[in-house]
Order: sequence, then C-alpha cells, then structure tokens
Amino acid sequence: MSERVTKDMGGLAATLDFDAELMLRVKEGDGASFTILLEKHRLPVIHFLYRMVQNQAVAEELAQEVFLRVYRSRESYEPTAKFTTWLFRIATHLALNSLRDGKHRRLEEHLDDDSSETPVRQVSDQRPTVEQRMLHQSRMEEIRRAVATLPEKQRAAVLMHKYDEMEYSQIAKVLNCSESAIKSLLFRAYETLRARLAHMA
Amino acid sequence: MNCPLEAGNEGILLDYAAGKLKADARAQVDRHMESCSACNQFAGAQQTVWQALDNWEPAEVSMDFDRRLYARIEQDVSWWARLMRPLNPLFRHSVPIAATAGVIVMAGLLLNRPAAVPVAPLPQSAQVESLQADQLQSALDDMEMLRQFNQLVPDNAAPKM
Repeated sequence: MSERVTKDMGGLAATLDFDAELMLRVKEGDGASFTILLEKHRLPVIHFLYRMVQNQAVAEELAQEVFLRVYRSRESYEPTAKFTTWLFRIATHLALNSLRDGKHRRLEEHLDDDSSETPVRQVSDQRPTVEQRMLHQSRMEEIRRAVATLPEKQRAAVLMHKYDEMEYSQIAKVLNCSESAIKSLLFRAYETLRARLAHMA
Repeated sequence: MNCPLEAGNEGILLDYAAGKLKADARAQVDRHMESCSACNQFAGAQQTVWQALDNWEPAEVSMDFDRRLYARIEQDVSWWARLMRPLNPLFRHSVPIAATAGVIVMAGLLLNRPAAVPVAPLPQSAQVESLQADQLQSALDDMEMLRQFNQLVPDNAAPKM
C-alpha cells in the first residue's frame, strides 16, 4: 500500500496522507482500517491527553471519547486536512473542555499520589537507589507542575511541538490560530518553562 | 548571521535546541553563538527544558483500553440498527425482493381471478304456489271422497261394543 495516495476531489488533486486514506476506508465500512488507525494513534493521543490533564484515568476516558468521535464521524469525514490535525483538534477540544469543566482531579491532589505511575527500572544491577528514585520523582513533579502552570493553549502547543513533533503550521490548524500566533504562544510558553526549570541544568 | 534575539527570531533558537534545524542552518547558529553569549545562554536554557521534558514519561495505558472502546462503539450503535442487524442481508436485497414479490402477487391475482359464476335463477314463486294448490286440491278431493263414503255406509253398521 502506498504511503501517500493521490485522489482527485472535485477536480482538485489533493494528496492524502495514509491515515486519511485509512479513514476513507472506514467511511466505506472497513472496520479493519479503524483498528489500524487506533493502533497507530492510541499512544500519542493518550500521552498528549495525559500531559494535558495530568490524570491517567481522565486521559484514557477522553481518549476513548476521541476515538469514539472519530468513528461516529466516519460517514461525514472529508480529508480536508491531515488526519492527525483533525485527530488532535478533537483531542485538544476535549482536553480543554475537561480542564474548564474541572472534571479532572485537582493537580495538587494528583501529584501527591501520582508517584506510582512513574515506571521503575526492573534491571536488578542498575536499580536506582531510594535516593535516586526520590530525586527522579521530585524532578518529575517539578516538570509536571511547570507544564501545569502554563495556560491551556500554551500547554497544548508545547506538548504537540515537543512530543508529537508537529510543525508550527499544523499546531496552528489544530488550535485554530495563525502560524505567527503559535510562534508567539510557544515562545512565551518556553520562556516560562526556562524560568521554572533552569535549575535542572 | 544577525542575532536571532535582536531580530525577534527566537524561533530559530527553539528549533536549534530541539534539533530541528537543517545542517546548514545549524552551522550558522553554531557560528553565531561562538560570539553571542545571550543566544548561547538562551539555547542552553532551552535545551535544559527540552531534556527535562524528555524525562517526563507517561503512565502505562490500561490493557483493556481497546476492549472498552469497542464496547462503547457497540453501545453507540442505535437500538434500531441492532434490532435490524440480523435482517440486514435481507434489506440489502430488499428492492429486488420487493419487486419480485410484487410481480408474483400481481400474477397470482390475475391468474387466480375467480371465473364468472352464473347466477342461479331464483325459484319462481308461481311454481311454489302451483305446488301448494295441487296439494290443497288433493286434500279437498280426499275429503269429498270420505264424505261420500260416509253417506253410503248405514247407521247400524257401526260396530257394537
């Protein structure tokens, strides 16, 4: 199967990414294509949502809603943008609504008992000492707090820029802003993070 | 190269710290930073942020994430669609089936049309009346014959008790 497929849509040749092609197959009733999309994007979406709301249970619940909406929208889907742009627009919309509605636990409550979520290395000869683990957890909390202090749109922009390696233009489409606005948003966000995390150098 | 910070082009330093610059652009920034402490400091702080974020590992995803999702998708299917699902193969061919059924019904109606049944003539009332008159006449004749017979028989002919 080719990585990119060219289709003629209303006389205009548009290049579809592979994901959009899969989504068009879902639209035609191919459930297997939905499974492929889920396999491919499950982790990026859940991780993005987890870093947005900083609560794993809420993140998974929101991710379920994201994929449910993707499935529900299959019949009206039109590949007018990259599939991931559409996917992350849904995810960001749900995350921002969740944060504004206060459906997630308060960050402070979460951070107090969230240490168990940090994976622990299982290699016996390299197992970190208690002090190292405490230091690692402390740093993780600092990073989470630093990101949590960012305004919601700045946070979403940083996460998409850093972890999903999106271009400014794509982040702009997800957040429905101009590209210059996204650059400004990211600059302010990183400025805040540089100030809060400078001591980790 | 102009100083990115003075030119308001901090984006290039963000990309530099993120390792997103192409080789030639990266080399230009490297050369600039040899003589610009402000950019050097900016890029260093940004790389610290980048490395800190690299260490932020997300939690494990639940094993049953997909199962729960597909269960929700299944629930999302309307009760009507679920009810009609067994009949879907039929409905898929409903138009030809309906057309065929229509033709069969019409053909059946035409072929099995009941033949014109001749209406049985109603019994003529005159015949009934004629029949009753015959019976009456016969009864009257019988009575007359009995009367004449009684006149012929003498009174002492009655049986003695």
